[in-house]
Amino acid sequence: MKPRTAALAWPVSATYAGLAVVLVVVMAMSLTLGYRIYSLDQVYRALFAFDGTDTSVIIANLRLPRAVVAPMVGAALGIAGVLVQTLSRNRIASPDTLGLNAGASLFVVMASSVLGVSSLMGLSFAAALGALGAALLVFGIAATAGGLSPLRIVLIGVTFAGLGHSVVEVVLTTNEAQMQQLLFWLSGAFVDRPLALAANGAPFMIVGGLVALVLSRALDALQADDSTAASLGVPLFIVRGAAFLSVSLLTGASVAMAGPVGFVGLVVPHAARWLVGLRHSRQIVAAALIGAIYATAADVAARFVIYPIEAPVGAVTAVVGGAMLLILLKRRAA
Amino acid sequence: MTDDRTHRIAVRDLTLAYGQTRVLDALTLPIAPGKITVLAGPNGCGKSTLLRAIRRLLKGTAGQVLLDDVDIAKMSGKDLALKIGLLAQNPSAPGDMSVEELVRLGRYPHQTMMQPWSPRDAEAVERAMAGTGVAELRTRPISSLSGGQLQRVWIALVLAQETDVICLDEPVNHLDIAHQLECLDLVARLNREHGRTIVLVLHDLNLAARYADELVFVREGRIAARGTPTELMSASLIGEVFGVHATIITDPVHGSPVCIPASRSSAPKAAAEKVAEAV
Amino acid sequence: MTSIGASAPVSSFPRAPVVLVAMLGLFVLLSLCGVAFGSTWIPLEEVAKVIAGFGEKTQNLIVLQLRLPRVVAAILSGGAIAVAGYLLQKVTRNELASPGVLGVVDGAALGVVIFLAALSNESNALVTSIAFQPLAAAVGGLCAIALVFALAGNQATSAVRLLLFGIAVAAVAKALTMVMMLIGPIYRTTQAARWIAGAVNEVNWSEIQVTFVALVPLLAITLLIARRLPPADLDEVSAQSVGLNVPVARLLIFALAAALTAVGVAFVGGVGFIGLMAPHLARMLLGRGVHVGLIGSFLIGAMMLVAADLLVRVLFSPIEVPAGTVTAILGAPYFLYLLMRKQSYDG
Repeated sequence: MKPRTAALAWPVSATYAGLAVVLVVVMAMSLTLGYRIYSLDQVYRALFAFDGTDTSVIIANLRLPRAVVAPMVGAALGIAGVLVQTLSRNRIASPDTLGLNAGASLFVVMASSVLGVSSLMGLSFAAALGALGAALLVFGIAATAGGLSPLRIVLIGVTFAGLGHSVVEVVLTTNEAQMQQLLFWLSGAFVDRPLALAANGAPFMIVGGLVALVLSRALDALQADDSTAASLGVPLFIVRGAAFLSVSLLTGASVAMAGPVGFVGLVVPHAARWLVGLRHSRQIVAAALIGAIYATAADVAARFVIYPIEAPVGAVTAVVGGAMLLILLKRRAA
Repeated sequence: MTDDRTHRIAVRDLTLAYGQTRVLDALTLPIAPGKITVLAGPNGCGKSTLLRAIRRLLKGTAGQVLLDDVDIAKMSGKDLALKIGLLAQNPSAPGDMSVEELVRLGRYPHQTMMQPWSPRDAEAVERAMAGTGVAELRTRPISSLSGGQLQRVWIALVLAQETDVICLDEPVNHLDIAHQLECLDLVARLNREHGRTIVLVLHDLNLAARYADELVFVREGRIAARGTPTELMSASLIGEVFGVHATIITDPVHGSPVCIPASRSSAPKAAAEKVAEAV
Repeated sequence: MTSIGASAPVSSFPRAPVVLVAMLGLFVLLSLCGVAFGSTWIPLEEVAKVIAGFGEKTQNLIVLQLRLPRVVAAILSGGAIAVAGYLLQKVTRNELASPGVLGVVDGAALGVVIFLAALSNESNALVTSIAFQPLAAAVGGLCAIALVFALAGNQATSAVRLLLFGIAVAAVAKALTMVMMLIGPIYRTTQAARWIAGAVNEVNWSEIQVTFVALVPLLAITLLIARRLPPADLDEVSAQSVGLNVPVARLLIFALAAALTAVGVAFVGGVGFIGLMAPHLARMLLGRGVHVGLIGSFLIGAMMLVAADLLVRVLFSPIEVPAGTVTAILGAPYFLYLLMRKQSYDG
């Protein structure tokens, strides 16, 4: 994508408004389209004038949670992607390529099978902790190995993710009793997610998003090298620490809500930069909106790619994200 | 602008070590306010470390750096960023950042949570871009710039910071000779027209001699010598500090001393002497 | 990129034959242990008796139908993948290269899943012989590695970039595999699910036969062309100038490596990191000689998978944890160590 520069053709607020309109349209599609197609009228009745018919029950209990969870997860992963890409100064970094999703999954599985945690809140917390642990590990390795190149950091992250998945596999195969419940967490989908999950994850996401916004000016300066940022008076340690915390909250909450939905955090920041430029106060807002649109649209697309069967949304985002990664590598963006 | 108030910097008994290796060894150096000070010395002598210590990017194990008699270790990061700017040796930023976006970063220490961006900030950015001649490049992504243009943009960033003291770590590295001169002329103008105190690390002795008000030779973490270029550019001192035989002549155009190092293998000393006589 | 030589000892390894013989001994011992251990312990002499054809009936059954197939499958798969890794590391001059990270394994998986989906009839029976499954895997693997190199283009000279292209292609292939598995009925899903983890416990004799028949000619070709390989250690220009036809050699070796990997994983599935670690250990123990390196890689790779399978049987019995998870858990830290050690691969 061609980078836009500071001079935008139209005001940023117009861009936000446009994205918000698209988001509403996509959410409406998520409510109406699927194995069965409902009219907007039916949707309205199910949500605001519940009449107890099968149609209303399906819309309120099955469609509505996905139409709420998908944009939340997408927004969180979009913001997390922006932060991770700035922190690592690496345009191919994302919560999954750095192993954060895998860390969150691992902790969810461990908390559930070893510690016997079963509450949604507890698992959300475990997921956030796992994402934080993975972030610290990957960046710690990179720091102790003496300024690894961005590409190398991604390779370390990907390897760590593979390692995490292997451990998860062992735990799953040795714990058949919990397998069903855990597979639910790890399948990376928006199907069958109760609304309670969204309510639980929301505080994590809101705090994470607000921290990101507060940091936005420091993050602007952090795009330059460390020496420049430090000489501009950016407290590097504090800013990085806070940003990691925010990434962990956002990624952890998303994994807790929908499992690891791949590559959202890789794709979204690129689109955000293309639309609103590099200033973080704008990038973060745009990434949240675009992420919400992207995840919801992918969720709708997943219902149709192998119709009448529903594909996991993670497969859809992985194909798009993998292709995107190839394009970025091809254009030497990293 | 801030012509009338210049900050005084003094390095006192500063010792700095990376692990077991001592890079600066009880080094003491007053920096002349309102002047251009150039730090020179062989590779690994500690001159870049000294510059970074002056900006507190590195912290000494003993000794202090004083800014107007206050130890900078006691100052807040933001305060310091308002007083001393530094252009790093190989600064980097995302290639698709525009020139203006990059220069705007220089206003970071001037902004507060309550007042994110003021007209004053915008003016400072405009002044910095105009002063470095990059205003017409403002929407260009920095990856599309030539080396000389890019260096001017980075200088514009430091300029937008509006600090009285500006440190530059080898700003002309990787530039061709025309752009080296252009860049250093710009630095010299900042000093003359705005009274900024400039501390430069330069590798090229002849450029150092031409632009420095005060030249400082650093060797093995200590100050080997300091003085005007004419005082310091002597064959014996250069031999002592850099370990090369050199002949010093006077630049017939600018009048500054010029060092002609002898190649170690063929050392045509006689020829060099002849040149010296001819000039 | 010129620093691979620095990682291996430069001496000519006069002890290589001795080490090789010792390795062979260890290999035989480990294989026998692989048969002896399990839910019931069968003493080694009994195992030898059964193999020689003098065993009792129950022991015959356990050894020949249950234990031996998985050991033989582990030997063939581990060995084939290790040799493929050796070839890839040689020709890319890149000690981080392996069939797994260059997309071969996931490409092969996609090939198999498509094969199973496209050539099954309504009642889920294959309309063609299962012997074609390795062929499908080979085609898939070859397509994946070809795609990786085609996309990488002139960036293929940077090791780290090449690996990232491999990872991206692998991610796409993995996602498509997932979709293909979903389209198919349950039978094919379980068949294909064995792929993802990499397990040797369900392999039967007819599958081993297919593997064996496909593997022997491939290994023979590999040993035949081994003579031409030493200049591949040099940079491209130098290799050309000492007479190696680099483009042709590269193509041939990639094809060979893809085929070996595909056969190796055709029935066993994606076994992680053996293709990375075994060639390293071979180089460390045996030096840079190509023939000893290939044979050593085969033995080490075979031992690793037999040992991994043994380990999961002892540790997790009676649950069948896929052996591939063990190799991945051991291999991933090793890969991280390599990544952190070498700074010269950046690009």
